[in-house]
Amino acid sequence: MKRQLIIWLLLFVAVTGKSQERKFFSLFTDRDQYSSGETLLLKLFAPADEPSGIVHVSLSNTNRKKITEINLKTTDNQADGFIYLPDSLSTGCYLLCTSTRNNPTLTFNEIFICNRFTGIPESGTVLHATKTRATMEKRIDDLQIEGINKPRPTRSNTPITIHLPDSLRSRIKGNLAISIAETTSGYNPGSFLINMKPMENQMVEKDGVILEGFIQDLKTGEPFKNGIVLLSIPDSIPRFNFYRTGADGHFSFQFDQYYGKIPVVIQGLDPERKRLLKIVLNHPDSIPGGVSSFEYWTIPPEIRKIAGTNTDAVTFRKIFSQQEITIQPGSRPKADRYPFYGVPSAVVDPHPFIDLPDFTEISRELLPGIKFRAYNRIPSLQVFNTALHTYFEDPPLLLLDGIPVHDLGIIKNLGSKDIDRVEICLNERFYGDLAFPGVVAIFTSKSNFSRIAESEDLIKFNLDVIQPDAQLNIPSEKQQSEPDLRKILLWKPTLKPEETLRLDFITSDIRGSFKLIVRGTNNDGSVFYKEQIFEVN
Amino acid sequence: MGNRILLIITLLGLFTAVSVTGQETLQKNGNTEKIKGTRFIPYPGYSGSPYMTDKFVNGEIEFLDGTKIGNLGLRYSTYQDAIIYYNSVISAQIIIDKISLNGFSFTDEKGEKRIFRRQYYNGLMHEERFFEVLSDGKVSLLVYRKVDLETCDTSYNKFGLAFQPSFYYYIYSAEKGYSPIKMNRSSLLSKFNKPNQKLVRKILRKNKVLIEDEHSFISAWDLIKDKELEIIF
Repeated sequence: MKRQLIIWLLLFVAVTGKSQERKFFSLFTDRDQYSSGETLLLKLFAPADEPSGIVHVSLSNTNRKKITEINLKTTDNQADGFIYLPDSLSTGCYLLCTSTRNNPTLTFNEIFICNRFTGIPESGTVLHATKTRATMEKRIDDLQIEGINKPRPTRSNTPITIHLPDSLRSRIKGNLAISIAETTSGYNPGSFLINMKPMENQMVEKDGVILEGFIQDLKTGEPFKNGIVLLSIPDSIPRFNFYRTGADGHFSFQFDQYYGKIPVVIQGLDPERKRLLKIVLNHPDSIPGGVSSFEYWTIPPEIRKIAGTNTDAVTFRKIFSQQEITIQPGSRPKADRYPFYGVPSAVVDPHPFIDLPDFTEISRELLPGIKFRAYNRIPSLQVFNTALHTYFEDPPLLLLDGIPVHDLGIIKNLGSKDIDRVEICLNERFYGDLAFPGVVAIFTSKSNFSRIAESEDLIKFNLDVIQPDAQLNIPSEKQQSEPDLRKILLWKPTLKPEETLRLDFITSDIRGSFKLIVRGTNNDGSVFYKEQIFEVN
Repeated sequence: MGNRILLIITLLGLFTAVSVTGQETLQKNGNTEKIKGTRFIPYPGYSGSPYMTDKFVNGEIEFLDGTKIGNLGLRYSTYQDAIIYYNSVISAQIIIDKISLNGFSFTDEKGEKRIFRRQYYNGLMHEERFFEVLSDGKVSLLVYRKVDLETCDTSYNKFGLAFQPSFYYYIYSAEKGYSPIKMNRSSLLSKFNKPNQKLVRKILRKNKVLIEDEHSFISAWDLIKDKELEIIF
């Protein structure tokens, strides 16, 4: 009996101990108040048991309309990134929503953005979120900050030292984030949590962003079974993938290795070519309804004052082309050694030859084994099968700048001047379960795939994949004659917690209160911070 | 006792509920690397076999990035030095693009695992080849299992052509390249200097290894390679 009691007690401790771990994201921005046209820097700490390696941070207005969204890849359950705040944003409060596909808890941070052209509205009030479940971070005192105890003059190099005692370092998990930015009183929005209903059978974005959607019969609107969804990523060596849909018409593609923005073309195909299809992408353009209620808030005088100087500072920085951050080029995926359609049997560059007016002439004169005819204005294309010494009966895979094309009318008017090169495969090619009776890949001179029109079953767009790293710009010696109107003086989102951290920063021309904040996570997943405010005068 | 069992079952159930917080349901359909290749056209009915195995056997291929696809019906064409797989979805025999692979392996009809590695052969007929790895290590023992189409008596084959094995054995190291070797004792000994030859003989004698064929040669090689004797290329 005694033993049973002990076991039950241990089990209770294990279960409750686990449930106390942080299950939500903690997101921190460099400031709370911005002007349109500025760049927001952010750092987030993911829960320890978060399975997803990709975290989405969206900026939305009080109408819950998404303005922009970024995808960050986490390392050791941490990530940092940036969001450009468009100049078109009207003055008001905005919500940053941090989420993954699998975590039912959404973390919201409110920020205030003042439009630098229109300023504060005449009414002096804006809508802001009424918080329900505010998140808490723990303030610690055993971390010592030296170097900013006294006011600092403008444009002065300031060394700072941060001492981390062993007792603190032993309980820190991962890296520390350190920032120094202008601080204002009168607005302390904080963050809050909303629990959503967990979605079932959600795929985990472990290494890359997942693009998903479904295809449906255009006529009936029913999900289309056994359809083929083609994904093309145009490039010098184009990339390609496909998905065979099930009864629910669902498809998905994962984009690991890709950073920044990439051009993407999605096509839906009925293998029997009988039905017209429609592609619907699962990409909500608004945050879930009911996440928060909003109430009118009178903008305090301190915020009004700072908003005025902020907008001037942003405008000056724009005039002097002072970029706040430098984006580090994201590593590109290793180029394939050869295209997905195989090593071409022949590559034809039409330029050394006489100018030919259309593709019929080009195929006749220059392309071995290609029969392109346009009798009675109905074009046809056939490829010679070198293995069987006969022409394939079915049309080949026709690619225009790496994108599969089914309408031969698109290529019939392409002349020598429009074409950079044509790659031909004179054999039956296979890519997974797809069979291509020969391949004709045309690369146009413009290579902008503008000839391919969008339709219900063909969508082309630029996809935001994993955001590349960015670094805060510090003015160079050449820029010393220019005004230095930086609001953020230091941004080190990934610092290794060493016993002594020595850092330098240069104060800008902005006078006022600045705040240094050190943030990190404990082994138990809780977030701690230490801050120190100092004056620049 | 019954109570204890009940308690253990309850505990196990609870722990499972706690630890299995979200199982991945990664659909592999659109996200895995696809096999690229061309349709295989069957060979005419000449004598001999152009394949290493009589039928398709279960195997695994490895792509350039190290990802592997297993449970494939594979058949190695020794005539073409090509790996053919059977795609049951579209009922097609497909020659997998050689340059898309690091190698492949399969278990033959005798239950023996055969491992092949794609390597560049820089000899007279320089090309990418699939070498079967007979013994791996700093210095590997490889075989290029080539089958040639040769003329034969029409009484033997109505076309007068037959597939004849013409295997090439090599020892290979990344630094020194390939060195041809034959499956006999004297060829093995020739790869060592005089003092080491004595040692090799002693090892073979001690282990009662008589080199008669490929199998016994591999056994001998495996015994010697552990001694890390200098090999003459």
